Amino acid sequence: MDKIIEEARIVEQERILGQIFRLRLHSPKIAGAARPGQFVMMRVREGTDPLLRRPFSFSRIYAEKGDFEILYRVVGKGTRLMSGLLPGASASLVGPLGNGFELPAAGSAPLAFIAGGIGIAPLLELIERVMARQKGAEDLRLFYGARTAEELLPEDFVRMPGLRVHFSTDDGSFGYKGRITRMFEDVMAEGAFRPSGIYSCGPLAMQYNVAKWALANDTLAQLSLESLMACGIGACLGCALPASTPEDPGAERFVHVCKDGPIFSAGSIKWNKILSQQTVPPTWPSN
Amino acid sequence: MEQNPVTANGSPDLAVELGPLRLKNPVMSASGTFGYGEEYSNFVDLRRLGAVVVKGISLEPRAGNPPPRIVETPGGMMNAIGLENVGVEQFLSLKLPYLRELSVPVIVNIFGNTVDEYGRLAARLDGTPGIAAIEINVSCPNVKKGGMVFGTDPAMTGAVVRAVRAKTSLPVITKLTPNVTSISEVAKAAEGAGSDIISCINTLAAMAVDIFSRRPRLANVFGGLSGPAVKPVALRCVYEVTRAVKCPVIGLGGITSATDALEFLLVGASAVQVGTANFTNPAVTVEIVEGIKRFMEVEGIGDIKSYIGSLDTSCLFPFAEDSCSLIESEMS
Ligand SMILES: Cc1cc2nc3c(=O)[nH]c(=O)nc-3n(C[C@H](O)[C@H](O)[C@H](O)COP(=O)(O)OP(=O)(O)OC[C@H]3O[C@@H](n4cnc5c(N)ncnc54)[C@H](O)[C@@H]3O)c2cc1C
Ligand SMILES: Cc1cc2nc3c(=O)[nH]c(=O)nc-3n(C[C@H](O)[C@H](O)[C@H](O)COP(=O)(O)O)c2cc1C
Ligand code: FES
Repeated sequence: MDKIIEEARIVEQERILGQIFRLRLHSPKIAGAARPGQFVMMRVREGTDPLLRRPFSFSRIYAEKGDFEILYRVVGKGTRLMSGLLPGASASLVGPLGNGFELPAAGSAPLAFIAGGIGIAPLLELIERVMARQKGAEDLRLFYGARTAEELLPEDFVRMPGLRVHFSTDDGSFGYKGRITRMFEDVMAEGAFRPSGIYSCGPLAMQYNVAKWALANDTLAQLSLESLMACGIGACLGCALPASTPEDPGAERFVHVCKDGPIFSAGSIKWNKILSQQTVPPTWPSN
Repeated sequence: MEQNPVTANGSPDLAVELGPLRLKNPVMSASGTFGYGEEYSNFVDLRRLGAVVVKGISLEPRAGNPPPRIVETPGGMMNAIGLENVGVEQFLSLKLPYLRELSVPVIVNIFGNTVDEYGRLAARLDGTPGIAAIEINVSCPNVKKGGMVFGTDPAMTGAVVRAVRAKTSLPVITKLTPNVTSISEVAKAAEGAGSDIISCINTLAAMAVDIFSRRPRLANVFGGLSGPAVKPVALRCVYEVTRAVKCPVIGLGGITSATDALEFLLVGASAVQVGTANFTNPAVTVEIVEGIKRFMEVEGIGDIKSYIGSLDTSCLFPFAEDSCSLIESEMS
């Protein structure tokens, strides 16, 4: 698969709510080659600060128009600068990168999509593609949670005909009160819905719980995982995660998120060897 | 300063000679930032580079350090990859053929845990078609000396270079660490032990912490700092080393543009390597080749060799009495 450097033009920048923004870019070569679950490395501005590109998933791909969208949350310096980009400005992109989701065989529902916070981003394009191939009668469900209602995308963003959405917030300000993976387990316990496959994206702690459930229930799961990245193309080996080594449990081996991922099966990661530093630390608002 | 005129066909000559190593231009990739070359084939025509320096290779495959392995810092980044690599056998059978097909000069960066391992690696690579030179990474702990880094001690550096020199007829480059009191002393030891070329610098020992979790950002606690932030340190090291040894020197550390590369050549490096900048701009290496060429055309420099080491550190006092006539003639 060819990777491309492309100077993209900003088409639209919209603050959806709080710290969540939607950026539409005109980048015909990358948009033409992009698949759901893949990502781009974006240079948010020229110069040495910030030095490295930042990875973002495709949240919507409009190949015929040569556009795609990034749905992002402002968490630090790079994303703050990004939120200041205005239509007409340009930004350098490298992409499309990574493996992307494997689409389910047509008619293979029921399927569960699990999105934690900004993890909804890559699932929007995926759901759209899956819906386009399904006949309409299948059970497709999106489990979508955030810390509070202020961080949940407006309902019309995620509601699509034929998709059932279960909302949760940690503080109960909208939908189910509690962690998204607990809501998911509660729905599973009711017994009416049993997915044949799971697609999920969100914080590492959430992904761990999804993986645990999927492994315990022998269900295929495709998880979109993150790691700090420098190159995005498999050259620096910086984006490692511990790999499971069933053939030799004591062995130490790593997968690389930008090249082997970002989509991984639940069983491919050695979850008990992930260090706490790998989980995103809180950001200091005054920074 | 006297300058060679632009060559007959008008195209400046970028070829450089580093002792036994001849390159069509002075720009190479730096080890560990360019994978095994193929990773960048979508972005640059690898054949346009002076050479490709590949990721450090050891006798056996290495898994590397646990993550997090990288963190961004102001104007730079720190890494603690832990020298993850496929091992020399897989390198030769799976990675080298691609570059050999393209006829790109390949410089193989090697490291070991003992002096003996360096020697065995050199022996294994000797005589392999497609390899232009060996670059010895001495920024590794010596397991037989309580983990002391080879490159921080002139005697240990000399021992490694001798072990490699004895086992290969390929040009030998020794890549120095800046984490020493006197880089000149280590450079002299490497040259004395038979190193044909010196390259410097490797990364600077560094650290980053998180005030919330109260933990180091890198699982390895320490990491190596690279990128634009280290360039002034690297320039100083190249300046010192070029004045301490007679052999050619390759400069690197923080190069992101043709201007940066030319600064290293001016100070005395015969060639440069580009590392971290590849992450920000995957096409940067070839852009630097083109930028150097444009600079030579604009400045009327026919041969890059005439620019290398042409730094003028003598004192010039434009306002001293006896220079007044000079200034007046310039103004008229
Ligand atoms: C494959 C992939 C796809 C991604 N897709 C999206 C997306 O669609 N939308 C979106 O909003 N974000 C996405 N991210 C995360 C995004 O890359 C980071 O939020 C961004 O790099 C932060 O940059 P910053 O300069 O604003 O923050 P920094 O100042 O660099 O850091 C601020 C905070 O963000 C954390 N952070 C930095 N980099 C990452 C990272 N790569 N992953 C997670 N946390 C990070 C830091 O630990 C720190 O707490 C994705 C990450 C990966 C690896
Ligand atoms: C991710 C990464 C991996 C590296 N791996 C190696 C290596 O395997 N062997 C080596 O000699 N140097 C290695 N280096 C050091 C670079 O080759 C170079 O000396 C250093 O980064 C300074 O140059 P720069 O500022 O242009 O990056 C690595 C650097 C980085 C950033
Ligand atoms: S980010 Fe460089 S190898 Fe993945």
